[in-house]
Amino acid sequence: MSPMRAFFQQLEQLRPLNQRVTLATLVNTQGMSPRKEGAKMWVAEGGQLLGSVTIGGCVDAQVIEQSEDVLTRQTPCLIELSLGDEEAWELGLTCAGTLEVFLEPLSADRSEPFACYAALKSHLDSGASGALLTRLDGTAAGAKLLLLDDGTRRGSLGDPVLDHESCRMAQSLLEQTISRTVSVPCAGETVRVFVDVHAPPATLIIVGAGDVAMSLVHLARTLDFRVAVVDSRPRFASRARFPEADDLLVGIPSEIVKTLPLTPCTAVILVAHDYKYDLPILRHVLSSPVHYIGMLGSRRRGEAILKLLREDGVAEESLRRVRVPIGLELGGQSVPEIALAILAEVVSVRYGGSTLPLSRQGRGCA
Amino acid sequence: MSLQYGETLFEHFRRPRNYGALVAPDVAYEDVNPLCGDRIRMELRVDASQTITAVRFRGDSCIISRAAASILTELIQGCTLQQVADLPKERLLTALGTEVRPARLKCALLPLHVLQTGIAAAHTSHDPQPFHPC
Repeated sequence: MSPMRAFFQQLEQLRPLNQRVTLATLVNTQGMSPRKEGAKMWVAEGGQLLGSVTIGGCVDAQVIEQSEDVLTRQTPCLIELSLGDEEAWELGLTCAGTLEVFLEPLSADRSEPFACYAALKSHLDSGASGALLTRLDGTAAGAKLLLLDDGTRRGSLGDPVLDHESCRMAQSLLEQTISRTVSVPCAGETVRVFVDVHAPPATLIIVGAGDVAMSLVHLARTLDFRVAVVDSRPRFASRARFPEADDLLVGIPSEIVKTLPLTPCTAVILVAHDYKYDLPILRHVLSSPVHYIGMLGSRRRGEAILKLLREDGVAEESLRRVRVPIGLELGGQSVPEIALAILAEVVSVRYGGSTLPLSRQGRGCA
Repeated sequence: MSLQYGETLFEHFRRPRNYGALVAPDVAYEDVNPLCGDRIRMELRVDASQTITAVRFRGDSCIISRAAASILTELIQGCTLQQVADLPKERLLTALGTEVRPARLKCALLPLHVLQTGIAAAHTSHDPQPFHPC
């Protein structure tokens, strides 16, 4: 389970237990950091821990220590952690840097953060995105405002002008799917606000419910993809074979795919190895903004399929989006290894990765 | 893709006749070859005398199955439901204009099977069958 999914799940469990926790959020990084802004950890009464704001070591230990103070005082605070070279080395950083972590108490009697997170989760589950804004300084530090991508707002940062201006800046970050601390001018001063952007989980549409699909689903769920498996054969696309799939859809595959949201967060993987699915589905998905389209098959088979699409008038530029043969060349031959190679390519395309081994890339500060 | 099954079949695959859907069809049925995954839906509209006035098919299926469905929709124009129910499979196979290997007969005959099962089902129900679970 991904840290964010675990976070939402644990949050739901926390409130009925009436347990008090300190939520630590990485809100700013200077220099190189192994975690991105938005990374979370919480420290509960009794010492329970979940998540991390770095990859471990002394910094997390300092956060834990400070979190316990926040639990006692029940007031939020922003802490700055300067990484000396020694600590940077320990954390796996190549350069020293500075982290800012916001610590805030959460408990059942402070209901607004829970309500914001619940509303956010519900919105994310519908395939949309949203940002939770947290005021980092001033007497209203910790105040929250939820901004959904449909423009809905909930809560306040303590000042209508600040709310308006923060939402304007957050909108841009929401579109870029970037979490960041912004400095917002308000009544002659500057207020720092952390914009925690949450996008829906990337969706994987797998067409063809064969063995490769079974391995794909298992790996993809580990990577926190939302997974839909599509096939026309109920005997193949069965819950017994795909216990982890979010959606198991049996019918006319090309018609099913037309009913699914095809967004820039979607990857479409054709592993039926069957032109009767590949052709009509490619015709449709090539006109959509999905970030990845891959098709199982040899180069020769791929060319044959693309030729038919070309004859149908599909533009060359669109055809170049089809990745066939599918996957990165990892050298593996087994079904799970093929699935891994496919998902490695999906992830690489999603994040714009080079696919080169990190050990072969230049060293030093970025 | 080769033309091992003949130009007629390939032409119907590339440019299927009567492909699509009918609004409120009188007969509608869908089925799948459970192993190969060919899935076809056939829809009919009939007049008061049970004569077919419109036919559509759609689905994701192989060259043979799709072409057979296309050819079948042309064969049954103006037929009564009873005539379609009684249509011998040899009539469709001959119309394909090529010899279909035994292993692919299921593909070729899926559209006829869907149509005849749909007509039989329509006789026992007033509502079109939207989906046939296998």
